[in-house]
Amino acid sequence: MSVVDQLSALDLGTNGQVDETLQRIAEEEAKVNEKLEALLAKQCQIESKMSGIGRSLTLLHTVDSDSSKLNAQIVNTAQLAESVSAKVRRLDLARCRASECQQRVHDLIDLHLCSQGVIKAIGEEDYEKSAMHIARFLAMDQQLLRRTADDVQGSITSVSDAVKTLEDATEKTRVLIAKRFDEAVKSDDLASVERFFKIFPLIGCHRIGIEKFSTYICQKLASKAQKELRNAQDIAKAESRLQLAYADRLTAILENFARVVEVNQPIIEAFYGQASASLIDMVAILQHECDAEVKNLLMEFNKNRQIQYRSKQVNESTQKSAAGGGSVGSNSIQALGHYRKPSGGSVDKLNPKEIDAIIAEITVMHARVELYFRFMRRRLQVHIETCVPEKEQMEIMERYEKIMKNSDLRRQMQEILSTYLLLERYFMEESVLKAIGLDAYEPGQQCSSMVDDVFFILRKSIRRALTTQSINGTCAVINNVAACLDGDFVAALKAPLKNGYPSGYIDLAQAYNAIQTTLQQGKLHSSDADRVRGNFLVQLNNADISTEYIETLWQTMEQEIAGTFPQTSPVERQLLDSCLTELKAVRDTLKATVDFGMQQLRSSVIKPRLNPWINQFLNYSHNLNEEELAAYEAGETFVQFFIVQLDGLLNSFKSSLSPRNYDALVSILATEVTIQLERAIKKISFNRLGGLVLDQEVRALGSYLTGATSWSVRDKMTRISQIATLLNLDKISELSEYWSPENNKEMSTWHLTPNEVRTFLTLRSDFRIEDIKRLQL
Amino acid sequence: MEDYKFLFKIVLVGNAGVGKTCLVRRFTQGLFPPGQGATIGVDFMIKTVEVEGEKIKLQIWDTAGQERFRSITQSYYRSAHALILVYDISCQPTFDCLPDWLREIQEYANSKVLKILVGNKTDRDDREIPTQIGEEFAKQHDMYFLETSAKEAENVERLFYEIAAELIGQARSKDGSSAAAAAAAQRQSEGSSIGLGSFSAKAAQSNCCGGLAGGGGGGSNGSNTSHTG
Repeated sequence: MSVVDQLSALDLGTNGQVDETLQRIAEEEAKVNEKLEALLAKQCQIESKMSGIGRSLTLLHTVDSDSSKLNAQIVNTAQLAESVSAKVRRLDLARCRASECQQRVHDLIDLHLCSQGVIKAIGEEDYEKSAMHIARFLAMDQQLLRRTADDVQGSITSVSDAVKTLEDATEKTRVLIAKRFDEAVKSDDLASVERFFKIFPLIGCHRIGIEKFSTYICQKLASKAQKELRNAQDIAKAESRLQLAYADRLTAILENFARVVEVNQPIIEAFYGQASASLIDMVAILQHECDAEVKNLLMEFNKNRQIQYRSKQVNESTQKSAAGGGSVGSNSIQALGHYRKPSGGSVDKLNPKEIDAIIAEITVMHARVELYFRFMRRRLQVHIETCVPEKEQMEIMERYEKIMKNSDLRRQMQEILSTYLLLERYFMEESVLKAIGLDAYEPGQQCSSMVDDVFFILRKSIRRALTTQSINGTCAVINNVAACLDGDFVAALKAPLKNGYPSGYIDLAQAYNAIQTTLQQGKLHSSDADRVRGNFLVQLNNADISTEYIETLWQTMEQEIAGTFPQTSPVERQLLDSCLTELKAVRDTLKATVDFGMQQLRSSVIKPRLNPWINQFLNYSHNLNEEELAAYEAGETFVQFFIVQLDGLLNSFKSSLSPRNYDALVSILATEVTIQLERAIKKISFNRLGGLVLDQEVRALGSYLTGATSWSVRDKMTRISQIATLLNLDKISELSEYWSPENNKEMSTWHLTPNEVRTFLTLRSDFRIEDIKRLQL
Repeated sequence: MEDYKFLFKIVLVGNAGVGKTCLVRRFTQGLFPPGQGATIGVDFMIKTVEVEGEKIKLQIWDTAGQERFRSITQSYYRSAHALILVYDISCQPTFDCLPDWLREIQEYANSKVLKILVGNKTDRDDREIPTQIGEEFAKQHDMYFLETSAKEAENVERLFYEIAAELIGQARSKDGSSAAAAAAAQRQSEGSSIGLGSFSAKAAQSNCCGGLAGGGGGGSNGSNTSHTG
């Protein structure tokens, strides 16, 4: 078909074409033949492979049967294994029961042994042994024992008999041990006491044991403390620590209690280990006794050191001074400095020196108690970490905190701290007043003795407060220190400043009066004024240096506080910080005091002295021709005269003022000079050469004042130099060069308004008003 | 945290057990802790409030009422801007002690300190001091007056917010005479002065529990200070 198709498809139109087609067909035939032969050649290969496959097929059948056999075997094995393991489980259960049974048998045997042994032991008074038997009995599961008795029908009587015997024996032993313990206590037989103490936990009486033992110890400690308290004075004398007699006794008491806990802690842990509250129970009982002993001691302390009487004296004296001060608040504080005399004046007034030792003793006492509480807390912490399950730890510590917080000892310490604060405040205030009263000034110094003395006292007070180990106490003392500085101290500084600085002879009338009085009273008046002047400057320096001292005090105290209380809670930290900040704030009051003094100097020294000097300026004409200028420059110019005067004025202060105060004085002087000079300039007129002279004068003045102090007063001179520049202009038109800020870089911005510029320009006699008016500013 | 314009110190005083700590807790933490133990020495809390668009930091010093802490607590009076004197309306003795407290305040505090008398525990049925008596006492001694209940949170917020408003007013209208004003003057931006204390202003609006009896002359700052002394 296809050949026919092909043939029909071919173009057989011509001979040539037929031939061509034929040849193509022949070629194709040859190709097909070649392919067929190649295929036939592969036949034997394929046949051999086929036979191979046939052979392996038989082998596969064998494999199939083998694998199914294996499968069956595996299933079998699994079933087998399961049944075995079930048996093992049953066996295990059986073994468990067997061992339980064995345990019960053991228990039963032990029960019999114990019941026989205990009677024997009791008979022989071998308490340890009987207690061991009882401990063994108590360790058994009582319910199980009863059930065992039910199970073992045959010997029911013997089991329950044994249980009964043992129960009786337990009861008997408990009573007996308690009795023996009491007897041992009575005969003060420490060995027996300890022996029975160790038996209590065996017979299940942990609490009773702890209670009885603690009570015994308390008795011992109480009698010891009483004896020691009676001999307190003698012992102190022997140790030559009379001033710390009661602090030493308190230390001894607290050490005794601490030692008891320290010594007995391992015993309790070993014998009472399973009852977690044992140690805290003991601590609670001991604390009670400790409270009582400290109370006795403090009663003696109060009596011997006359605390009540002294507190009353302190209270009365503070109330009296408050009443003497009259009105309230800041007024009364100032008044205190005036009306309150340093102690020693009146007979019934307490001398601060007298209570110094008592204050020290109280701080030691307070610190010891803090230390004691810390020791106990640490002991308990160690104890619970090793012996108490975690979930109960918190509970125990909370219980201790509560015991501590509610203890009478705590309360007594709060009371004694209150006494301390009262006495410390009195001591501080009186000492400060005394230091102020004894203020001495040594020539050549810039400050007087009271600054050093006062800050020494205040630092002493805060340091002593730190030794109490009480944050509340420290804060209160810092507050009191701030109050004392802000009150008495500032008042003492301010008093001479308020009276003002007696100036020299400002005018003739005053000079005349002064001479008159000097003649009448000898040299007295002038030296008196000198003294007041000196005192004024010294107090001004004192105030200045005090601002530094406060900073130093604040810094050192902050460091020392951090050292004393390494672990503070955030609230305590804030409390301390806030009090320290309050202390630092007193610096502002002191700065205000310095400013106040400076203003006094300004009004009583600088202003009146400057006035006549500046007036001299008006005497110099600033309308000069060349000749006059030459003549003026040849003679003493105004500025030369002025600088000499200023130099004289400043020199009289330079050595007696502190550097900072001197700088402040120069600054005030510069301000005042510029104000007054400006006023004087406005009063006269200038020509070109006069303006030149003024400019030179202002420059000379500026360089003198800048040179007089390390602190730049250049700023204060800006305005006056700008005025001089205006008056030194060649032509009005030159102003534009100076006025617009782009044109001059070295000149600072104008401190003059356009109107002021115009006003000053009118002072130049050679400038025309119309030109000035026309200025574009 | 340091983003505030004014810092005021408020100290609470009064007998033990009148509810000072509860007032502070209620205000600072919104809690009323029953069975509160006695305060030891002083406790210290901070709350920042916003009054008249200004952030104000209040340092609240909660003092112990018991006698033995007196020498600690007294030392805090000097730097206080406001003193809240608290009594228990159901306990006459706490009211009877007020003169003693005033004497102490007189002795240790700044004469210009803002004083507020607070009768606490209005939730109690066994009232012993009528509102009017408290009000009278406050008037006599130139104090503001308010009755509160820390338990029911009544007037507690108001107490502290009005103190803050009053102190701002004082700080703005006075110059440098008190530490508050000095500190405030540095920070002060615009000088809009507030004439009347908000205490009296609000007392006029609300007539519940007696309102506030501002010192004599309607609670203006001037009259407040002129009466003391």
